[in-house]
Amino acid sequence: MKPALSLICLSLLAGPALADYPETLSDHILPGYAAFAQATAALDQAAQADCAPEALRPAWNAAFDAWLGVAHLQFGPVEDHGHRLAIAFWPDPKALGWKQQKALLTADPAKLEPEAFAEQSVAARGLFGLERLLYPTEDLPADPCPLIRATAHDLATMAAGVNAAWVGGYGDLLLTAGEPGNTTYLSRPEVRQALFTQLAAGLEFLSDSRLGRPLGQPAKPAPEKAEARASGRSLRNVVLALMAMRQMVETLTPDVPRTLAAFDHAIEVAQGLDDPVFAGVTDPAQRLKVEILQQAVQRLREVVLEELAPELDVGIGFNAADGD
Amino acid sequence: MASRRAFLAGLLAASLPRPSWADLGNPAFLAAGKRGSVHELHGLSSSGDSLFALPLPARGHAAAAHPLRAEAVAFARRPGTFARVVNCLTGTPLAELTPPVGRQFNGHGAYSADGQWLMTSEVVAEGSAGRIGLWDTARYIRVGEWDSGGIGPHDIKLLADGRIVVANGGIQTDPTDRSKLNLDRMQPNLALLSPNGALLDRVEMPADLRQNSIRHLALTARGVAFAMQWEGDPALPVPQLGLWTPGEAPVFCPPDDADSLAMKGYAGSIATGAGLTALTSAPGGALMLFDAAGAPLATLRRADISGVAAGPAGLVASDGQGGLWSVAPDGLQLLARHPVLWDNHLVALPL
Repeated sequence: MKPALSLICLSLLAGPALADYPETLSDHILPGYAAFAQATAALDQAAQADCAPEALRPAWNAAFDAWLGVAHLQFGPVEDHGHRLAIAFWPDPKALGWKQQKALLTADPAKLEPEAFAEQSVAARGLFGLERLLYPTEDLPADPCPLIRATAHDLATMAAGVNAAWVGGYGDLLLTAGEPGNTTYLSRPEVRQALFTQLAAGLEFLSDSRLGRPLGQPAKPAPEKAEARASGRSLRNVVLALMAMRQMVETLTPDVPRTLAAFDHAIEVAQGLDDPVFAGVTDPAQRLKVEILQQAVQRLREVVLEELAPELDVGIGFNAADGD
Repeated sequence: MASRRAFLAGLLAASLPRPSWADLGNPAFLAAGKRGSVHELHGLSSSGDSLFALPLPARGHAAAAHPLRAEAVAFARRPGTFARVVNCLTGTPLAELTPPVGRQFNGHGAYSADGQWLMTSEVVAEGSAGRIGLWDTARYIRVGEWDSGGIGPHDIKLLADGRIVVANGGIQTDPTDRSKLNLDRMQPNLALLSPNGALLDRVEMPADLRQNSIRHLALTARGVAFAMQWEGDPALPVPQLGLWTPGEAPVFCPPDDADSLAMKGYAGSIATGAGLTALTSAPGGALMLFDAAGAPLATLRRADISGVAAGPAGLVASDGQGGLWSVAPDGLQLLARHPVLWDNHLVALPL
């Protein structure tokens, strides 16, 4: 077992051929959260300066792009205090977020103060909360400016907190796996297992939710259920999520040619789709193209289980895969 | 009906000496697990040491421990057609239980307080109508069966007065491949049976939680805490915990807003002890703690955590990576780590 190495040492020592999870930390996770913190800080600054929706949209889109670099990482600091849900609460089939935002738009301004706002429902906050204000699909009951500012500030605060937690200690827990005193990861294989789980779950979410929800049943397509439809980002989110997960795989191991090829194929199919919000799911010919993309993602997930899992010597959790 | 084989197995069981749990060092828990490619049943001390390990023929689901004698029954994964009763001192199989033709075990069972009877949750293979099989533990001979009061029973628990609570999960499954056949019209319930199997009370789920399958039970001061698995839209936050006092309506205990999806709609095991109720979710990699009134206290993270039970030193949890953990609202403390993938359930032994 290797001794603990600081991040700096690792980035100097590790080359591509030695890819292992310390590289996932240094080349994927940490830069991903740093970029997300930076993009949301920029969004916050822009919102405090000018909260006009049209003016804020580029900064909001940049923040969403940055989120997709790490959105598949559903472990560690982002799970504390419900931050991941609060950053991106989707899907929201009962429109819980919008109901609470409507109340907040006309509520006592004290509820928008940072500490009070951080106590608001996770459904009402984050990127999707902002999307509903920056790309409104119905008339708003009041000037959205104070709520836009509060939401942008809250988002930046959460992103900064998650980034700080990774830099300030959680990353070391990955590197010191198996060492005395580390009861988060009892061995290095446990870290590989945790990282693999993110990929398997991330691809499942892509297939079942990002693509599966608008596809619905063949007799009952549901284009209105596409993610980030109001902002026109549904397909973009799929492409960026695939790219982020591909990059994560490269940091874990270079020896998975079929996995990387399956990623490339899925990304190519997605990029070739001329349907930014999957509106075509109601038209048989267009729908087929979205289904082909979904099948490419499903096949990709199978290849990940067939090739990447044994390469990392991990699998779906013993109990998580069993059910009862 | 007692088959010739069961009769002979029963004779064998009755003729052997019956050791007590004290002969085994008073294990606090039973846990099934997988070591390499071998399935085992372990007896664990309250501090997580393995006191014995016995081979099992295949992956099990849950076990039930005889209250006095050092014997346990390990159930096959559902739908199963075997359960093995083991002498935990020698590892010798005491009996192989086989349900009648057309019935399947559903993974759980419970002994009566005096240890004379074993009750097993079962379904009629076609249609999943629930039955409780009754076995005489002197020779492990089947002596009868009762209607469980619903479809797809899973866990069963005996109250202190001998009445029986059944978690009728409501799900009709295909008898061969476990696929779920009635999710659009399922209706889980909790049934209360007399010690003689008569239906005394039954509560169904409210309409908006009709797809929340009641699976596992833990005893509370006034009845049971029950754990649910959501078969509806996974994006909808629903409670995984309920409390039921017979004669009253069930009370649902949602988590905090921030943790509303932490369990991924799935509670695998439940235990009560030290004023706490713990629920686990292997898919969510989370253990959730509530107080006795059902208010959420903490969400603790550990990958593939699944078993949880109350021992003499408080709640203990097990995971599919070999870890055994002491559970408290301020966190999980590592008790021991074994080269064993701990299976779904941890079973507390009566002390």
